[in-house]
Amino acid sequence: MRSKGILKRIMCAALAGVMAFSMTACGGSGSGDSSEPIKVGLLHSLTGSMAISEVSVRDAEVLAINEINEAGGVLGRQIEYVEEDGASDPSTFATKAEKLIVDDEVATVFGCWTSSSRKAVKSVFEDYENLLWYPVQYEGMEDSSNIMYMGAAPNQQIVPAIEYLIDQGYKKFFLLGSDYVFPRTANMIINAQCKAAGVEVVGEEYADMEQTDFSSIISKIEAAKPDVIINTLNGTGNVSFFKQLAEKNYTSDDLMTMSFSIAEEEVATIGADILKGHMVSWNYYMTTDTERNKEFVEAYQKAYGKDRVTSDPAEAAYDAVYMWAAACEKAESTDVEDILEVVDGLSIEAPEGTITVNGENHHISKPVRIGQVSEDGKINEIYATEKPVEPDPYLTTYDWAVEAGVQPLE
Amino acid sequence: MKLIKKNGYNVCFGIIVIILGVMPLLLQADMIKSTTVLYLAKCMCFAMVAIGLDLIWGYTGILSLGHGLYFALGAYGMGMYLKLQATGGKITDFMQVGGLTELPAVWKMFRYLPNTLIFMLLIPGALAGILGYFIFKSRVKGVYFSIISQALTWAAYSLFIALSPYTNGNVGITEIKSLFGSIKGPKNQGNLITLFYVTLVMLILIYALSRFLVTRKFGKLLIAIRDGENRTYFSGYCVSRYKNVVYVLSAVYAALAGALFVNLNGSVTPTQMTISTSVTMVIWVAIGGRGTLIGAVIGAFLVNLCEYNLSSGSLVEIWQYIIGALFVIVILFFKGGIVGIVTDQIPALIRRKRRKSGREEA
Repeated sequence: MRSKGILKRIMCAALAGVMAFSMTACGGSGSGDSSEPIKVGLLHSLTGSMAISEVSVRDAEVLAINEINEAGGVLGRQIEYVEEDGASDPSTFATKAEKLIVDDEVATVFGCWTSSSRKAVKSVFEDYENLLWYPVQYEGMEDSSNIMYMGAAPNQQIVPAIEYLIDQGYKKFFLLGSDYVFPRTANMIINAQCKAAGVEVVGEEYADMEQTDFSSIISKIEAAKPDVIINTLNGTGNVSFFKQLAEKNYTSDDLMTMSFSIAEEEVATIGADILKGHMVSWNYYMTTDTERNKEFVEAYQKAYGKDRVTSDPAEAAYDAVYMWAAACEKAESTDVEDILEVVDGLSIEAPEGTITVNGENHHISKPVRIGQVSEDGKINEIYATEKPVEPDPYLTTYDWAVEAGVQPLE
Repeated sequence: MKLIKKNGYNVCFGIIVIILGVMPLLLQADMIKSTTVLYLAKCMCFAMVAIGLDLIWGYTGILSLGHGLYFALGAYGMGMYLKLQATGGKITDFMQVGGLTELPAVWKMFRYLPNTLIFMLLIPGALAGILGYFIFKSRVKGVYFSIISQALTWAAYSLFIALSPYTNGNVGITEIKSLFGSIKGPKNQGNLITLFYVTLVMLILIYALSRFLVTRKFGKLLIAIRDGENRTYFSGYCVSRYKNVVYVLSAVYAALAGALFVNLNGSVTPTQMTISTSVTMVIWVAIGGRGTLIGAVIGAFLVNLCEYNLSSGSLVEIWQYIIGALFVIVILFFKGGIVGIVTDQIPALIRRKRRKSGREEA
C-alpha cells in the first residue's frame, strides 16, 4: 500500500503540472509595432448544427483577408487572422469573443450568424470597446456602437418585399416561420405593415426549429387559402416544408412564397425543381450584374471549388473585411475608437453595388433586390430598388410602424 | 504521512484549491490574463455539477442524462434576477415583442435577491423531488431512468423555446451583469476576483459536504444500493427515499452551479438544456473517474480546459475529433478514468515490474 500513497502524490503533482500548463498555454503577445501584422479575429461555428452555414461566411472572410494581404495589406501591414470555434453554442461564443479580445488582442472581430450568438457577445464587445462585424440580415431593433451590421435591417429586406407583393396585387398573406426571435419580430412588423396597407393576414404559424412534419401546417394553409406565404423558416425546416409542399403537387403557380432565409446554398439543398418560380428577398445574388461581383464569384470559386456558390451573407462578410480595411486606411489607425469616428459615410464598391456606412446606427445602406428561383438553381433579380436603401433598424421613418408601436421600450 | 496516504483524494483536492486560489494573485501580477481566471471559474461551476453527478451515478449507480435541466433552471432563475436588475424591474424587449404588457408572475418571483436565492434552488430541487418521488417509488431504474431524464430535459428545452415571450426563446436572457457588477475589463478586475473566490468557496463547500456524506453511513448505503439494490431493500432500508435524496441533492448542486455560471457567462440560453450538454456532463465524470468525487472535479477541469485550448487556431475544425478520440480511449481501456489510472493501473504495473525484478535478483 505504500506505493499507492506515493503515487497519489505523484498524480497530484502531475495534474497540477498539466493544469498549470494548460492555463499558461493561452498567453498572447502585444501588438502595435508598425511592421507587425494586424491581428483580427474570426468567430464562427465551425462545428455543430450551424457549421454548415457559417463555414461559407468564414471562407468569404478569409478570401477577402488574403486578397487584401496580396495587395499590400492595411496601412502597409499584413492581416493575420485568429480563428475561434463558437461550436453553435451562444455561451461558447461569449467565452471565445472574450478570449479573442483579451488573449489575442485582436483589432477587430468578424463573426456570428445567429441572433442568439450575436446577442450573447454584444455585451462583451461593448464592455471591452472592441468591434464586431456581423454579416447576416437580422430582425433589427438593435444598434450597438460596437457592432457593425453588414446585413440588412428589416427595412432593407422585409419591408420592401412586402411592399413589392402588395404592389403586385397580392391580398391574402400567410405568415410562416421558425419559432425564434427573427420570425417573431419579422411577423410583428409584417402584421403592422399589412394592417396599414389594408391587406389581410389570414394566418400566422410557427414551427419548431427541428420540426420535420409540416402536414398540419400545410392543411392550415389550405384552409386559409392565402395568395402568398411569407416564409421565415430557417435551416432544415425549409427543406421539409418545401418538399412536403411539392409532394402535394403545389408549385409556385398555385401557391407563391416569399422567403427571407433562402439563398443560393439553400436552393442547392432543397432542389431547384421544387423551388422554381418562388420568390426571395435579399440585397445580393450570385447573379447580380456588377463588375465587382464577377471578380468576387470568380475568386471565391477559384479558392474553394467550382461547385461552391456565393450568397448574401457570404458577400456581406466579404464586404465587412473590405469595409474595415477602408476604415483603417481612412483613420490611419486600427483602434476601434478611431475607426468609429471615421465610418460615417464611408463607402466601398461591393459586389452588390455601392454600400455606405450609416454612422448613426452602424448599419449599411444597400440596394434591395427581389429574386426568383430559376430552373437551373440560380436566383434571378426581378425587381431592385433604384437607389440603396438607408438602414432604419427601429423603423422610425415608417408611419405605420410608429403607429403600431413596434419599437422597443426605453 | 499516514494521514496523507489515507486522504489522497482530499490532498489532491486541496492542491487543486491552492492552485486555483493563487490564480487571482497571478492575475494581479499580470502573469495571466483575465480570461483564464474567468474560464477557470466557469470550470469550477462545471466541477460542481460533476460532483453531483458523481454522487448519483458513481456512488448510487443511477445514470442521469438530464442534469443540464437543473443547471439551466438555476441559471435562468439567477438570470431573471440579473435581467430585472438591468431593466430596473420593467418588462424586457422580448416580452414586448411577445405581446406582454406587464411583468409575468414567474418573473416577479425573481425581482429581489433573497427570493431569487431561495427560488433558484427551491424550484429545481422541488422538481427533482417530485419527479424522483414517482420515478423511484415505482422502481424505475437503469436505462429506463436515463431515458426519462433525457426526455425531461428535451421537453423543458422545447417548452423554453415555445414560451418565447417569457423566456426569449432560443436567444435566452442576455446583456446582464454579474451580482457584483460588470466583470469585464481591467477596471472591473476586482469584481471578477470576488466572483472567482465566491465560486471557489462554493466548490469547496460542495466538495466538503459530498465528502462528508459519502464517508458516513449515508455514503455506504448509496454504494450498497449501487452494488445490490435488492439486498439493501431486504436489509430494511427504504431505497427509494435514499435515491430521491441524492437525486435532489445533485439537482440542487447543478442549480447552484448554473446560478454562478450565469454570473460569469453574462447570458443563459436553452442550449444548456440540450441533451448533448447533459451527456457532456456525464462524460466529465467518466473521464475523471467515477465514485471518487475528486475524479469528477479533475474530469470537469481537464475536459473543459482541453476544449478551451484546442478549439482555436490550427485545430479549429478538428478539435472535436481529438477530444472524441480521447474519450473513446479512456472509456475503452481505463474504466476507472484518470483517477483509476493512477490508483489502480500504475500500481499494478509497478507491482508486476517489481515482481519481475525480484525474480531476476533471485
